[in-house]
Amino acid sequence: MQGSRAAQFELYKLYAKAMYNVSLRILNYEEEAEDVLQESFLDAFTRIVDFRQETTFGLWLKQIVINKSINYLRKRKMEFVSTDEITEVPDDVSFDHYDNQLKADEVRQAITQLPDGYRVVLSLYLLEGYDHEEISHILKISENTSRTQYMRAKKKLKSILDLKGVRDE
Amino acid sequence: MNNRLETFVKDNRRSFDVMEPSAGLWAKIEQELDHKKEKKPLKLYLWMSVAAAILVVFGLGWLYAGRMQKGEMEIADVNAVYAKKEVQFAGLIIEKRDSLAIFASANPELYKKFTADLEKLDEEYERLKSELPASPNQTFVVKAMVKNREIQLQLLKQQLSIINQVDDYKKVNQI
Repeated sequence: MQGSRAAQFELYKLYAKAMYNVSLRILNYEEEAEDVLQESFLDAFTRIVDFRQETTFGLWLKQIVINKSINYLRKRKMEFVSTDEITEVPDDVSFDHYDNQLKADEVRQAITQLPDGYRVVLSLYLLEGYDHEEISHILKISENTSRTQYMRAKKKLKSILDLKGVRDE
Repeated sequence: MNNRLETFVKDNRRSFDVMEPSAGLWAKIEQELDHKKEKKPLKLYLWMSVAAAILVVFGLGWLYAGRMQKGEMEIADVNAVYAKKEVQFAGLIIEKRDSLAIFASANPELYKKFTADLEKLDEEYERLKSELPASPNQTFVVKAMVKNREIQLQLLKQQLSIINQVDDYKKVNQI
């Protein structure tokens, strides 16, 4: 498999778009996301011997993409809100209001407007399907921080959508 | 319900992956892959040869240093008192040899014999010196070296007195 360029291209075609979006949601920068994508595929192809069949190639690649993206983000000195403020549990957000008018594109746009820490946790939880325990490992934060960050991110997202809704109406 | 958002995202998951990487990205990756394939073995060889060169240089240096040390080992490295004695003897020996050389023209045959004896002792001295670094009992060898110098000095003294007597005899006979 290592030598087969055609097979590599097949894998690229299969995963490039999804992985690009994963990285883009974390980084919010197209150029950086492309760099991550390029590095991740190169890494995956050169380390394919390390890949054990315990997971799918897609999940393995996704891990590489997420780790690289987080590293890029950390280079930009993103900081996750510390655990000190956990006592203040934010009100849960109701999205009932948007039932009919929620558009994926609007949500997607709103997510890009979230601060780095919120955006990463929300993306990992909501879109990449990781639970808070997994997120705590990925970001090296506590599970509780992950939960609070997610709650706050959701609240913030709602306010962004609200604003938008008001403007759109 | 408060998990509307979650449900909504789940139901519309595909609509979130809408961005496309630029079309030229695969070409870039392909280029890097070709690059890596070519470069990797070359780089490895380069590093290996650099490492080998360093090893060889260090090895040679070590050998050379070892030899230098062996060759240059002096009495002083073993015992300072003997070294002082040896230096003293060596100085006297040079002095006496110079005196002896003055008589050389007058008694060439005798001088030749004397120097032959001295050369033997000198050879012995050099042999001891070369043995010194590897010797299990260096103090013993050093003692022998100093003794050798002492004998040389004694010999020279005797030679000088003989030559003096011969010279006197010759002078008396000439008159």
